Amino acid sequence: MQFEDNFFWVAVLTGLAFVVPACILSIRVILSAVGVRLTYKFQRAMDGYFYISTWVVGFLIFLAWPLFQSLYVSFHNVKITSSELKLTFIGWENYAEPFLEDIHFLPLFTKTVANLLSDLPIILVFSLFVSILVVQEMPGRGVFRMLLFMPVVIGSAIVIRRLFGEGVSTEAIGVSVQTLSEVVFTYLQGTIADWVLDLVNRVTLVLWRTGVQILIFVAGLHSVPITMREAAKTDGASGWQIFWRITLPMLSPVILVNVVYTIVDSFTDPFNEVLTYIQTVGLTRDFRLGYAAALGWMYFASIFLFMALALLISSRFVFYAGER
Amino acid sequence: MADSVFVIRQRTGVLGALTSRKWWEMLFLRIATYIILINVCFVFLFPVIYMFSTSLKTVADLADLTVLWIPRTFFWRNYELAISGMLYWQAARNSIIISFGSGVLQTVACSFVAYGFARIPFPGRDVLFLLVLFTFLVPPQTIIVPLFILYRNLGFMDTYFPFLIPALFGHGLRGALFILVFRQFFRNLPYELEDAARIDGAGPFSVYWRIMLPLATPAIIVVFLFSLVWHWNDFFEPTIYLFDQNNFTLPLRLSILSAALLQMLAGQGAGDEFNEAVIMAASFLVIMPPLIIYLFTQRYFVESVDRTGLVE
Repeated sequence: MQFEDNFFWVAVLTGLAFVVPACILSIRVILSAVGVRLTYKFQRAMDGYFYISTWVVGFLIFLAWPLFQSLYVSFHNVKITSSELKLTFIGWENYAEPFLEDIHFLPLFTKTVANLLSDLPIILVFSLFVSILVVQEMPGRGVFRMLLFMPVVIGSAIVIRRLFGEGVSTEAIGVSVQTLSEVVFTYLQGTIADWVLDLVNRVTLVLWRTGVQILIFVAGLHSVPITMREAAKTDGASGWQIFWRITLPMLSPVILVNVVYTIVDSFTDPFNEVLTYIQTVGLTRDFRLGYAAALGWMYFASIFLFMALALLISSRFVFYAGER
Repeated sequence: MADSVFVIRQRTGVLGALTSRKWWEMLFLRIATYIILINVCFVFLFPVIYMFSTSLKTVADLADLTVLWIPRTFFWRNYELAISGMLYWQAARNSIIISFGSGVLQTVACSFVAYGFARIPFPGRDVLFLLVLFTFLVPPQTIIVPLFILYRNLGFMDTYFPFLIPALFGHGLRGALFILVFRQFFRNLPYELEDAARIDGAGPFSVYWRIMLPLATPAIIVVFLFSLVWHWNDFFEPTIYLFDQNNFTLPLRLSILSAALLQMLAGQGAGDEFNEAVIMAASFLVIMPPLIIYLFTQRYFVESVDRTGLVE
């Protein structure tokens, strides 16, 4: 890798990360040196901006600007010539195409959403269940925890995904796909059978995505005050009642965190079929940058709506202990 | 739970314990717990064991259905082939630079930013923090093309800067998540410490660097390990920014391994040496470094998770 060509911009950007907060700091110093009396509130606000200014600059360069550009490009037809990109304005055409012409995008999209909807409860229930088991005091707890958090470390590796692609996943739960499909088709039919089969095929892969969620639940379970459970026990509550009346409500913010994390994680996963499709359209196969940008924006908007919906629904069920 | 089993036994003696219904219930629950946990752990361990076992098989062992887990001979040549085919040490060096560099930068930058969000009231804080969460929602593919053009214009193609520079600003791979973790952690710390430091004349930077950061060790461990591992495993961004094979990271090398091996072995007429087992050996070599790091840090890691206040 050659260093000389890009040294200038590296220096500029690195400098920017330090100069911006330094400027904000110096405003305060200069103002007080000149003799302006600063209120405490103003000083604190300047402190706050001092800390976050780096992030804001980064946000503008690495997120807001690219987002704006892709929005701009999405209304254009992009022609790549050897020297430059040629943009012609075509209005909403790119946005209409997935509904009118493209036969691939919508099925992929609905499939991704359907997968998420079926995976989400599995991930949540499974990780909550496992973390309840693993917070108990018992011999070997450390080893179990170590193994349970392991998907966090290697689960995102392409290696693991490729292994699952080769059918190792169903092998792990001890069924061969063939016997399974026989059984499934005997009892169920049509679309439901397909769906069940698909689910079983994915189930280990789904479990592999629970590492972070288990971790969050374990941390959450530790923060449920033991005094509450003991008080309930003294009043004669059974373990079942304690779980439903105390642990679960106390845990509801954590469940919300996990819901949000799971949604974001599966929607922004680069191996996600919709995203791979967008990449194929834009970067490798067709080089239709404008259309890819439009697809990307529509996808992003739908994530946003989905998340807003999840937050809206869950806000009715979440209980904050600190709130009065 | 172990205590209560013990207490019951103490009160009524061994015979009493055996006849007590509660004791049997507990025993049953305990056994059920172990069975479930062992099963779950097996599901998580299975691919790794499978990978390791296959990686040691010869061609004959691969074809032989009676050889399930333990190969007849441990065929280490697979590893030699994998290492030379992937140019392992060179690729590992690239991976280390990217993941350690971005890990350190992200940890420092995100903790710095998060401290501002967690502890200091300033106008517009809530809106800005919503923006942080908003960045977490943006799928990488939506902005990859403009970013690509930006980095190309800056001359960053085929360098490590597309990974390091955003990390320096607290962005990069899941930067928003790390800011969130640090923020939750800082929010739980007592205010007296920094008040005392400020009264003693510490500036905003030294409050962060000398008071708050040392207290954040658990959060630092969690964030650094996450960032390290996610960058190590990252496949999408390196495929976009790295073209020259000498700059490839390990996952990229792995993806072109079969082609590279075929080319390497073509002249020697030993094509049958290249097989599934070599790929598995290579895969195992790729995930081994993060696994080893995890094995050594997992004690702190598991403890830290309890103490980060990751969750309020």
